[in-house]
Amino acid sequence: MVVDIKQVVTKFYDDYNASTSKKLKVVDTYLGFILLTGIIQFVYCCIVGTFPFNSFLSGFISTVSCFVLGVCLRLQSNPENKSIFQGISPERGFADFIFAHVILHLVVFNFIG
Amino acid sequence: MDVKLVLFGIFLLFCSSHAVLENEAETLVLLDNLAIRETHSIFFKSLSDRGFKLTYKLADDPSLVLSKYGEYLYKNLIIFAPSVEEFGGDINVDKLTQFLDDGGNVLVTGNSNSGDALREFASECGFEFDEEGSSVIDHLNYDVSDAGDHTTILTTSKNLINSQSIVGKRDSVNPMFYKGTSIIADKENPLILQILNGHSSSYSYNPNSQISSYPHGVGKGTVLIAALQARNNARAVFSGSLYFFSDEAFTQSAQFAQNEKFFKKSGNQDVATALSKWVFGETGRLRVAEVSHHKEGENKPPSFYTIIEPVVFKIKVEELSGNTWKPFQTDDIQLEFVRIDPFVRTTLKKVGTTGVYQANFKIPDVYGVYQFKVDYDRTGFTHLYSTTQVSVRPLEHTQYERFIPSAFPYYISAFSMMIGVFVFSFVFLHMNDEPGSKDEKKSKDDKKSQ
Repeated sequence: MVVDIKQVVTKFYDDYNASTSKKLKVVDTYLGFILLTGIIQFVYCCIVGTFPFNSFLSGFISTVSCFVLGVCLRLQSNPENKSIFQGISPERGFADFIFAHVILHLVVFNFIG
Repeated sequence: MDVKLVLFGIFLLFCSSHAVLENEAETLVLLDNLAIRETHSIFFKSLSDRGFKLTYKLADDPSLVLSKYGEYLYKNLIIFAPSVEEFGGDINVDKLTQFLDDGGNVLVTGNSNSGDALREFASECGFEFDEEGSSVIDHLNYDVSDAGDHTTILTTSKNLINSQSIVGKRDSVNPMFYKGTSIIADKENPLILQILNGHSSSYSYNPNSQISSYPHGVGKGTVLIAALQARNNARAVFSGSLYFFSDEAFTQSAQFAQNEKFFKKSGNQDVATALSKWVFGETGRLRVAEVSHHKEGENKPPSFYTIIEPVVFKIKVEELSGNTWKPFQTDDIQLEFVRIDPFVRTTLKKVGTTGVYQANFKIPDVYGVYQFKVDYDRTGFTHLYSTTQVSVRPLEHTQYERFIPSAFPYYISAFSMMIGVFVFSFVFLHMNDEPGSKDEKKSKDDKKSQ
């Protein structure tokens, strides 16, 4: 059983290393960083309490939204999905990503207190 | 003699003759017969000495009027006419009730044979005179002068209501004569006060007949004098004994027939005088002279308050003393800060001796429309009620606390997200150029492999 899982994981890792483009790896690293920040915040909130609740909400929601936007960018910039996003160039996808981020961070900045 | 001194003396005399507020001095006295004016002269004299303008009329005088053109001619009414079956002239029970509703004060005395008019009026006020012919009897506490029925009873000061504004200094009052019927008071009625009760050995029944049913008044439940202070602060006192206010009862020496304790003078005069002061509004009257509230450190009321602000509330309470309003001294006035329910309830602290009471408190962390409410209802005093409405709004956007230490991780994370995007976009765009060809190659490979 354990061997099976180990096999699956190593297989997955090898495949990932081999078949994923460097660009997507960068996106994945970025997503991992966001995930970690979000988890740390959530744990901190559980320990300390929700006192500046607006701060917690804006901090946590900013990580969640960043994660969602990152995933969207990853989907759009993955060449395998080109058929789904026909007519949307990677540049256009990145511009959308930045535009959404500007709005997101304006809101977060306003709400964080 | 100096002319000025004489004038000053006259001025002083003038002042002292008006112990009562001038617009409240008009008093109508209704009598069974004019002889009562003579037999109760001490009581009437003490009233006129205090500034009351007494108008004596027979209770069945056909020219009686209480009001003219919608204005009352009298502020106070004394009915010393126990046997009256029907009032004369314009007065009837409805008019009397209306008089009370409009703020007039009434002192009524009955006796063992009270007439229908008094009975009806009493029941309008929540009382009932005991059955016709019945007297309060006490076989243990009667006076030596009693004829043998034991109906000239003596009741001591411990049976008086414990309220200085109604009966004066209670502990120094000698035993009082009482000869008459008892009053049945509605126990459910919160506006009714039992001013004088009988001893535990007293009861109320017809002294000439055998007891065949349970008496209406027994023991300490035998009410001798009762009062009603209506919601509009009008006062009505009902006494079952006209004799209680008579010269004879005032001046006679009292002696218990059983234990032969002797008192040179009965307590009737003291109590009757105090009672008349109370019922006609000379004592026990409170008013709110001034209400102010402001934020701590300011001295003007703001147009609105903000939550959790410290606030100062001041109220000036005055008591009528003679014909002037003087500061009222007590320590149990409470303030409530009410939004449907009281959110804050605190005791007001006395500030000096000027009758100003103050409370400092913090507005609760809930916004809405509030009232400062002072509701002071004590036995013997008029009902003091004052409300001031204020609005409390939430904090402005800029008034919230900022840069809270415990929120720093959130700040850092939010900023790291921003920096993250910045750095990431650089890397992402930069990579687009160089290894972009690789990507293309790879995708081509993928396609091939597919």
